[in-house]
Amino acid sequence: MTFRACSEQPDILDAASAGRELPAVLTAHLASCPSCREQVDAVTFVRGLAETADAPRQLPDPAVIWWKAQLLRRWQAERAASEPIERMRWIELAAGVASLAAFLVWQWQGLVTLVARAVPAGVAAASAAPQESSPMAIVLIVCGAASIGAMVLAALHRRLGGASY
Amino acid sequence: MADHAVTLDAEDVSAQQVEAGARPELLNESEFQDIYRLHARPLWAYLYRLTGNAADADDLLQEAYCRMLAAPLATRDDRELRAYLFRAATNAATDLWRRGGRGKRREEPLSDDAAGPARGGDAALKQDMARTFRDLKPQERMLLWLAHVEGSAHREIAAALGLKPASVPVLLFRARRKLAGLLRKKGYGPGDPS
Repeated sequence: MTFRACSEQPDILDAASAGRELPAVLTAHLASCPSCREQVDAVTFVRGLAETADAPRQLPDPAVIWWKAQLLRRWQAERAASEPIERMRWIELAAGVASLAAFLVWQWQGLVTLVARAVPAGVAAASAAPQESSPMAIVLIVCGAASIGAMVLAALHRRLGGASY
Repeated sequence: MADHAVTLDAEDVSAQQVEAGARPELLNESEFQDIYRLHARPLWAYLYRLTGNAADADDLLQEAYCRMLAAPLATRDDRELRAYLFRAATNAATDLWRRGGRGKRREEPLSDDAAGPARGGDAALKQDMARTFRDLKPQERMLLWLAHVEGSAHREIAAALGLKPASVPVLLFRARRKLAGLLRKKGYGPGDPS
């Protein structure tokens, strides 16, 4: 299918699109040119179809569209406003996990001793071994681990809670 | 064609107006209702002929207006707004086809009420015409409608459909030729032009 249009075709199509009557010269050309005729037929058909589309149909209620658009705009504004908060939550969670990891590395020996003391089988061995952590250090370790754990849990809870709506 | 030509480059014009100092403003509800009353029916007719489905046409009409309302408008010119709406509707229809939504709803004829006062043979003819138009590809329907019903210029059609302006006349020629072939096949045309 190649693009070979007559030189008169633009004028003929313009007239057909606008519903104007063709000058005698173009009418004569149209009668003798099958290519122009089929192009005009197509244009006339589309314009005829457009006239049938002007039906008295009930269109969507503009008030509903207005309300929907307002809702969408508000939702987009809320999303844009909460984006930095959302980002901070991720940073908070990452910082909590990193702190917990650093704390575990730093106080690993103390935690091992604490666990050994808590387990009945290890109590004797722990009491026989030299004391590496004072009771105050143990309290600090427990409190530190608990607070970091709570922070991570809270951040996770917020993330999961935030994802649900 | 030039009498009622619409400009589909609403964004370009908006940008020019912003540069010239015009401040984009949000529409209020009564302004929106005026714009809706002015453009909704031709836009719905375009969408209905594209999708062949009244429910899809309703959805896409709403989406086009929602897109218009999502951001402040830099122009209140009716022609530019009309152009913007047709472009937004075309994009929404393209998105629908890309999502594969076209297959979900069956293409349907308008009900007797919607088809206007015509009944019987006239209504059947209209439905047959609509079916013939639906045999074209979506892009061909868009091209033909924008060119010959909306009277858009080739450059404007190219902007709306994301085509090169130089390819629009060729595609239009082919679309008209294909439609003429379909019309001949259905007995509407005068016969084989070759």
